[in-house]
Amino acid sequence: MAADIAEPHSLLAHGSETKAQSASTESVPWFIWAGALAVTSASVGGQWDVAWHRSIGRDTFWTPAHMAIYACGAIAGIIGLYLVLAATFGRSGYASQLRAASVNIFGMRAPLGIFLAGWGGVAMLTSAPFDNWWHNAYGLDVKIISPPHALLILGIRAIDVGMLFLILASMNRASDAGDSNFKMLRRLFLYLGGLILGGQMFFIMEYTWDVALHRSIAYICLAIAVPVVLATISQASRFRWAATTISAIYAGSLIAFILIFPLFPAEPKLGPVFYPVTHLVPPKFPILLIVPAFALDLFWQRARGWRLWHIALVSGAIFVALSFAAEWPFADFLVSHASENRFFGTIYFDYNSRPDGYDRLRQFFHPDSGLTLWLGLLRASSFAAFSTWVGLVFGRWMRGVQR
Amino acid sequence: MILAQWKMKKLVCAVAGALLFSEVAFGHVGNKDIYQTVEAGPYKLFVTVRTPLVIPGIAGVEVRSSGASLRGITITPLPLIGEASKHPPTPDAMKASTSDSGFFTGSLWIMASGSWQVRLNLDGVGGKATASVPVPAVPTKILRMQRPMGMMLALLGCFLVLGVVGIVMAAVREARLTPGSLAGPTRSRLAVVAGAVSLVLCAAAVYLGGKWWNVEAAGYEAEMHHSPTMRVILNGNRLDLLIGGSDAQHGGAWKNVENSQLLADHGHLMHLYAIRWPEMDAVFHLHPVPNGKAGFTEILPEMRAGTYHLYADVVFRNGFPETETAALAVPVGMVGAPLKGDDAGATPLPISAGHLGPRYKLPDDYVMEWKKPTEIISNTPYTLAFQLLDPRGNPAADMRPYLGMPGHAAFVKTDGSAFAHTHPDGSAAMPAVMLANESSSAPMSGMHDLTDMKMSTEPVSSTVTFPYGFPASGTFRIFIQMKHGNTVETGAFDANVK
Repeated sequence: MAADIAEPHSLLAHGSETKAQSASTESVPWFIWAGALAVTSASVGGQWDVAWHRSIGRDTFWTPAHMAIYACGAIAGIIGLYLVLAATFGRSGYASQLRAASVNIFGMRAPLGIFLAGWGGVAMLTSAPFDNWWHNAYGLDVKIISPPHALLILGIRAIDVGMLFLILASMNRASDAGDSNFKMLRRLFLYLGGLILGGQMFFIMEYTWDVALHRSIAYICLAIAVPVVLATISQASRFRWAATTISAIYAGSLIAFILIFPLFPAEPKLGPVFYPVTHLVPPKFPILLIVPAFALDLFWQRARGWRLWHIALVSGAIFVALSFAAEWPFADFLVSHASENRFFGTIYFDYNSRPDGYDRLRQFFHPDSGLTLWLGLLRASSFAAFSTWVGLVFGRWMRGVQR
Repeated sequence: MILAQWKMKKLVCAVAGALLFSEVAFGHVGNKDIYQTVEAGPYKLFVTVRTPLVIPGIAGVEVRSSGASLRGITITPLPLIGEASKHPPTPDAMKASTSDSGFFTGSLWIMASGSWQVRLNLDGVGGKATASVPVPAVPTKILRMQRPMGMMLALLGCFLVLGVVGIVMAAVREARLTPGSLAGPTRSRLAVVAGAVSLVLCAAAVYLGGKWWNVEAAGYEAEMHHSPTMRVILNGNRLDLLIGGSDAQHGGAWKNVENSQLLADHGHLMHLYAIRWPEMDAVFHLHPVPNGKAGFTEILPEMRAGTYHLYADVVFRNGFPETETAALAVPVGMVGAPLKGDDAGATPLPISAGHLGPRYKLPDDYVMEWKKPTEIISNTPYTLAFQLLDPRGNPAADMRPYLGMPGHAAFVKTDGSAFAHTHPDGSAAMPAVMLANESSSAPMSGMHDLTDMKMSTEPVSSTVTFPYGFPASGTFRIFIQMKHGNTVETGAFDANVK
């Protein structure tokens, strides 16, 4: 791959303590493919579930969207059980190899990512009775962010990151050993990075709705949630176009949902119905993260000799400036008649969208201007700088992960 | 001196009115479920809607069919008025009982507070028909966490925190070692430090999570239904009532409920029950008249001195019914006026004198008789039948509707925790019933029809039935009002509810 960084990245101050010497040809283990499948299932399930709630409203434990989310936990559980049993108790040569590349927690051995995923599974299980109680105590929560939902999302994200670490350890070992499966592992790593970026955007969806994109809070949320992922994946993957790639995966997956979901009939099963929905309502058009991501990739390639916090400061400013420059006018386009087609998806509304609501009227919700806006963007830049710094440090640390 | 006493009296009345009742009083007091009879074409139904305590929440619906045979019923929830009342969501089929073909059960989600209706689509031997039952739905309760659930979540939470500490320690100690290598003492020490830091961070996260939970709970509590306050001022025998409450948008300043926000129910904007407390040995069904833009006035009849509980039924223009409550202290020596118009009253024996039986002898030697069930179980739908007999023991022959209905009933729990003013059609407010069935059958013709609600004066039967379910176990006093000739009779009965 021409874009590969052949030489060690200058930000890689600390790699693994010693380099493993192993076979030069390896295939990608089945559990890594399965891990990628698990994360894909959760990502699709999450978007499907939101579309379900926006179109049909009422759900049960057994909806297909919920099944897709549970499948993530089930697949991760199978992988985890296999790896923990093999690494802790196995006596074969392969089990010994697994044991050698594992960590020890409370007497059990497995790759670090498996313990992360296991923690995520327990968090998901804990959120279920908590969420049920929450519905009984305060009614069904009609917003995404509530304490039990936050725990559920944290659990899913822990599984995502756990699977990312499972790939990461294999990828790093393959890189050090010069194994042939390195490129495939890195593609999978970037793919999961894209899904994790999508997960971040999922979490801040309520603040980055198209009619909210003329508010500084939208850019503050982006500044907190996005640069940390871009920097982490960029550093850990050793790929110079990592930020651009994962932003493209995020955008591509959302556009696919916009084109696919409305093909399926759906009718509201809850009231009040203000908009008679006939098909699954897709997500909103993706935020143009690819613009600041491409600029950051270019900048990071040219800033190898810089101090880390200098890179973070400039990255924060670049991210917010280009996000704003791209998204602000694009939001004007999204609320205009020109975007009313199947590709941009501004023709779809929730069943409970009020006719006098901002979304239906295609008007910006309480737009900021003047000093409020510029101060908000300044705050966003500082958040983006810190978010980038965390990502750079964590990504650099991840490059040394072997187990 | 006299002025000072009068001011003090006004103050006492107002404060007592504000403080006496804490029970949430939407629709009725302490009666959240709707019991309603419905006739749609050849079908006759007794519908029970068990409204949820939390919103969004699930309402249970039970239907007992006694008319033409039904093949199936579907139900759907929709707001009583407005744009969304035109777009019913996909209906749900009710489940027919396997042992009783005339009994159906179902459930549906009520997703927002406000004035709702359950629309019933009927299909049977008499063809298809539609009817609606109004359902006022508001959150009235917050469930406290039970100890076992709290313990389980606490244990899982501890496990998650320990898990984070273990993962962080393993990550620092071993994650970056090449396969097969062992961690040295430096890494092990660093792992302990990292574990301690992660423990502190987890504790901070749990603390902040708890704060967030409190904010969410407070937000929910703020959105729970709070009935307006009813201010009571007694001047001589002139009673002034003012409904209103603090206006959050204007710094909590008092804001009146304007009379134009209310719908007439049986020809009156307000139906006021005054019940002498705690003996319930005097009851009045009064109809204060609007007093300008806001407030009502009633010239009180002769009333024995003492404390009265006031229950004022009003219906808002969206069909949402409320029972405003207050207390009134009637002083010794108050000179009252004769009962006028539709006002009526009675002076039954006090509660402490013993249980009132199923026959109530009226002052003009008429007798009101209750065909009392042998046993009354709380939260069970009953059709309670009462008959008016003339002094010779025959069914009264000159029966007339009272306020457009064959009868009115008030069910009052002796501890003051429940009050319901109902009619032979059921416990839903009549303007809401009309709104619901206008929107389900024909285009809305406007609110004016409701405010000018026509009341029948045709002769009616001497027997009147009330669909009702007692909301809790305990002793209830029931006041039944029927009219013969120009006389409104008020009978009183007691019921022990299990």
